[in-house]
Amino acid sequence: MKKKNFKVMVWILVINLSIASSLFIINGTATETIDPKYGDTPVIDGYIDSSIKEWNKATKVQSSLGDLPIELWVMQNNLNLFICVQFDLLPEYHSATEFIGILISNSSSEDVENFIDFKIIQFINITKDEFDYFDYHINNSVFQDDTQSNGQGGAKLESSTSIYEFSIPINNNNDGQFSEDVFFEYGTSYAFNITYGETAVYPSGIKKSEIVLINIKAPPTEEKVFINIALLISTIIIFSVLGILYGYYIYKIFKLKEKIKRVRR
Amino acid sequence: MSKSAKYPKKELESKEKQLSDEIFAYRSVKISGILGGFCFVISIFFNIEIINIFMNKNIFLDIVDVSIKVATILLFFFFMMISIGNYKELIGKPSDWKDLLILFAFSLGQTLLNPWVFIFTLLGLILILIYLYIVQEI
Repeated sequence: MKKKNFKVMVWILVINLSIASSLFIINGTATETIDPKYGDTPVIDGYIDSSIKEWNKATKVQSSLGDLPIELWVMQNNLNLFICVQFDLLPEYHSATEFIGILISNSSSEDVENFIDFKIIQFINITKDEFDYFDYHINNSVFQDDTQSNGQGGAKLESSTSIYEFSIPINNNNDGQFSEDVFFEYGTSYAFNITYGETAVYPSGIKKSEIVLINIKAPPTEEKVFINIALLISTIIIFSVLGILYGYYIYKIFKLKEKIKRVRR
Repeated sequence: MSKSAKYPKKELESKEKQLSDEIFAYRSVKISGILGGFCFVISIFFNIEIINIFMNKNIFLDIVDVSIKVATILLFFFFMMISIGNYKELIGKPSDWKDLLILFAFSLGQTLLNPWVFIFTLLGLILILIYLYIVQEI
């Protein structure tokens, strides 16, 4: 009887601890405020192709999930928010079923109840680059599969670096179509909890996390786009004129040489 | 009739010195022009952002990127000013403020795509002009 009681007590303790630790992980304070830049849509496949300048215009910050340093890239366009999480671990420390998830708050509030959306890239077998992308809705701390999965995710292990790419829709028209997701409004800040774990159990599988604030920016006005194009064209014209003038100047230098030779003779 | 008979010795020496100065000035025109052109080519690659390997990665690489852009433009201005100045001396028309202003405008025109490059280049160009003004006055 005593042994049974002891077992029950231990189980209660373990359950309490796991719930408390998951709440502790989810809760926290934002360490960074990120202003994403507008950039070209990257291919969400877990591979960063530098030859096509993928993620080139992203806002890049160095952060950490507890003791795990990460590189966080954030970029957006009119329709989507793109988040790339990268971290280095020695191959033997990578779990075959590691994951990166993003808990999204419906405002800049970092209270647990405000995190209502969870996007996750879960490796099934990291050595074979097999992964799944899940979209969960959090209802009273219960993680439920979205009836309609929104967004995209891609992940890859490149030698010792894990690369996770997310594409999250910016639901500009609040018509209730995507009620299981957070509606991002332009010009508003939202809290994002970046989480890391090694087993496919949510939220108890979450081992490390960090909250960041991301300001969803309004699309650049036509005037701004026009100014950027005008500046680029002006720069190209200036360089072209300068190139022509430089060529003419070199020609004149050669002519001068001939002139000096003639005078010398 | 020998040369020494035609020209007095002093005049000959003066002519030789003038010739030597001309050779030196011409060499300066050529070398400074080539170096200016080299800086111009590097400036094209970095300031039109054809090469953007350092851009937008982290703050340290951003500083490296801006430094390269500013340095190439300032060196371009410096070498081209020496080259054009000597060239004008050789053709007998010393360079005036108009040449300087055109070169200044073209140097600053290379910075339009990056406000940080614009600010630092403007400061650098002003410093070079102040330095040259002081040197000329002394």
